[in-house]
Amino acid sequence: MSNAQPLPGPLAGLRVLELADETGQFCGKLLADLGADVVKIEPPGGEPSRHVGPFVDDIPHPERSLSFWYYNTSKRGITLNLETADGRQLFRRLATASDVILETFRPGFLASRGLDYEALREQNALLVMCALTPFGQTGPWRDYLSSDLLHMAAGGEMASCGYDEADVPNAPPIAPGGGNAWHIGCHFAYMAIMAALVYRTVARQGQYIDASIHEACALTTEAAIANYIYRGEVVRRQTGRHHAPAPTPRTQFRAKDGTYVCALVAGRLNPKFVRELADLLDSYGMAGDLKDAKYRDPAVIAANTSHIIDDLVANFIASLPAEEVYHAAQERGFTWGAVRAPEQLLNDAHLHDRGFWKEVEHPELGRSFVYPGEAAIYNGSPWRISRRAPLIGEHNMEIFCDELGLARAELSVLAENRVI
Amino acid sequence: MQDGPPFLTSPYKENDAMSRPRALENIRVVDFSWVRAGPWATRWLGAFGAEIIKIEWPENERGRLPSTTTPQNLEVDLNTSGNFNDTNVNKKSLSLNARSVKGLEIVKRLIAISDIVIENFSSRVLQNWGLGYEELCKIKPNIVYVSMSGYGHTGRHHHYTTFGPIAQAVSGLTYLAGLPDKPPAGWGWSYMDDTGGMYGAMCALTGLYYRNMTGQGQHIDLSQMVSSVPLNGPALLDFTVNGRGSRRTGYPPGNRAHWPGTSLVNNYRGPTVAPHNAYRTHPGEYNDWCVIVCYSDAEWQRLVQAMGAPSWASSPKFATVLGRLQHQEELDEHIETWSMTLRKYELTERCQSAGVRALPVQSAEDRVEHDPQLRHREMYLPIEHPALGTHKVQNAPFKLSETPASSHLPSPLIGQHTREIVEGLLGYSHEELRAGFADGTFWPTKRRRFAYMEEMLR
Repeated sequence: MSNAQPLPGPLAGLRVLELADETGQFCGKLLADLGADVVKIEPPGGEPSRHVGPFVDDIPHPERSLSFWYYNTSKRGITLNLETADGRQLFRRLATASDVILETFRPGFLASRGLDYEALREQNALLVMCALTPFGQTGPWRDYLSSDLLHMAAGGEMASCGYDEADVPNAPPIAPGGGNAWHIGCHFAYMAIMAALVYRTVARQGQYIDASIHEACALTTEAAIANYIYRGEVVRRQTGRHHAPAPTPRTQFRAKDGTYVCALVAGRLNPKFVRELADLLDSYGMAGDLKDAKYRDPAVIAANTSHIIDDLVANFIASLPAEEVYHAAQERGFTWGAVRAPEQLLNDAHLHDRGFWKEVEHPELGRSFVYPGEAAIYNGSPWRISRRAPLIGEHNMEIFCDELGLARAELSVLAENRVI
Repeated sequence: MQDGPPFLTSPYKENDAMSRPRALENIRVVDFSWVRAGPWATRWLGAFGAEIIKIEWPENERGRLPSTTTPQNLEVDLNTSGNFNDTNVNKKSLSLNARSVKGLEIVKRLIAISDIVIENFSSRVLQNWGLGYEELCKIKPNIVYVSMSGYGHTGRHHHYTTFGPIAQAVSGLTYLAGLPDKPPAGWGWSYMDDTGGMYGAMCALTGLYYRNMTGQGQHIDLSQMVSSVPLNGPALLDFTVNGRGSRRTGYPPGNRAHWPGTSLVNNYRGPTVAPHNAYRTHPGEYNDWCVIVCYSDAEWQRLVQAMGAPSWASSPKFATVLGRLQHQEELDEHIETWSMTLRKYELTERCQSAGVRALPVQSAEDRVEHDPQLRHREMYLPIEHPALGTHKVQNAPFKLSETPASSHLPSPLIGQHTREIVEGLLGYSHEELRAGFADGTFWPTKRRRFAYMEEMLR
């Protein structure tokens, strides 16, 4: 049935060892879902990230963490105790036969165990090793503790996110949720690993990558840095829209169903835009005076900016459900959108057309669940979830015995001695 | 460390990266991208040493203008946007009307000797120019083509359009940021232009690796809206597995792990603990805030010691994580009374040296001027630009031992490299270049040319 075989992913044939906690596991997923053979190495008993909720049916258990499930798809899993001589020796053997090592230990840990890049590359000159840590391997904050919230603070995300004084007086700067400090760090780490791998295809040489989550976050605030460097300006936070050195008109409007619409109007109010806006509003009988000939004059538009945004657009959106505004506006060429909660995406017809949602089997539970799919469609070498996240030590026998050649009896001894 | 005068600016030094091999040596990218997400993608390919040829046309340019980041002492024009400079280092600019017959012919000659084509137009634009993937393959069979459209090239809404804030709204990202019972605070910038750019670069590198391994190119269809959705993974699984949506009381919980008085449910940012919040610091200005998080009783006890073991902190109600979550309002008030007595860098230093998770909220100024870690790691290094002068640009957040990423070229002036590319790379004659300027292929005939264009026409 060779015609039923799916095309391999773009990273098929690539062997990756992942020694990553919650900060780096997403990078391993990015590699694994694109076809790399990512072997997740956990301490005996499993990674602490297995203890992050929510859990399946709200039953806490290291095999039921939805966070762990999501961030560890398509990987195989083994356990290994690097604090033992046997564990280190097995790790060296695995490293010899691998293309990439991704690690998130505190700086200096692997070196203290004789497992740093210098030592490992002696047996594998092609090895690409990426250390992804909160602050990098050097510098005064190198050993600082961190968390997602801490990175969103120091990286500058929070300084840009929050509320207009009128909406929430004395509001704190807000850190967007979802664990995005880790996402940001992992995107950059993935990019650096891929650049090193492309170089390796040409130069036949591996290399070491020192990646910093703090730097990645500090790079991810669009023009805030340029506003400061080129104009000395520090931006202010605004509800549901861009930070800015001086206040800008609102872009987030409450719809009839109590949810919100992001409608970009200010900064676009030229006569053509106003004519199209009038047509959109008029199709619901909500154009007010916007069809008046006076709005052919840019000066009149400018003088009525607040009327157009705060009366006409706001009333139009308040009269309809957010989804209806979104689609009606987009069909007429307006770059507007409904502010949705994540679960609304399950009903998004466009995502269904793109085959976005994936059914992933959990055979040990006798159930399968729907997972989010790919950011991009690779037409020649598809992205896919090849398996659900590994159970603790699920592939110990497969990797230690079948691939490294250990006897079953040896594996038992290693388990008894807490090596695996 | 003191929150005293800003650190002295380090002297300009020759970047070690300049003399090293580059990861993408000999890779050429035809870059049609504009605005932010696409240019942010090719910026990183350029930092790895690829030759980025940015194809621009002043009549429909979007990225250089409108500019809100032109220094106050300069006039706003196509070459003076600070944000454009930072977003487009390491690129060359070819000014070319790709919508003209002659321009399209030149584009095809360029594609024939390139490795990657990348663009972030709406879904049918390149196809309408006659440069869809099938056509690209006829010109360069193993081309890696990355399209970065708002909704992708397939799916019923492929014709919808996005900017960062729209992708964020529609995908659920905006909803994740804010205080409960308030409108979404959202992201205060186009997070998905930054992150969409990341995915553009990631797709290009992945496609390039696959090509080098197999000889096969491909079309990679990236969508800004769709690429936002996987960033909500655990929240989506909580719905598909447990049936629990994010529209619920107490969510999102601001900066906290849990909003007091609501049901104890994980909020998809890590463990549910307290303290976990932002606290005002001395002297209480706009960005005088610190965040503090305690992941364990031991970390809480270290915070108590760092605060000087105040008597309130010894209350049994704060001794356990459930107690701290239950009495979070009171806990946070006490902590803020203390945090207000310290400057944010002082508080950070005191907490971190005691083994407590704390960092300051940092503005752009803080990051560029006051952050000792970013300074040590040389995050901002000066580069000279012919119109803007010498300014710092942002560097890569990773250090590659053999092929370091670098900012080796400032952003190009519009059309700055037209002669170099048309004559030097593509082999057209100088007369053909002049003819192309005369007939509106390389610059609109009615638009005033910059002095460097007159220079290249001599």
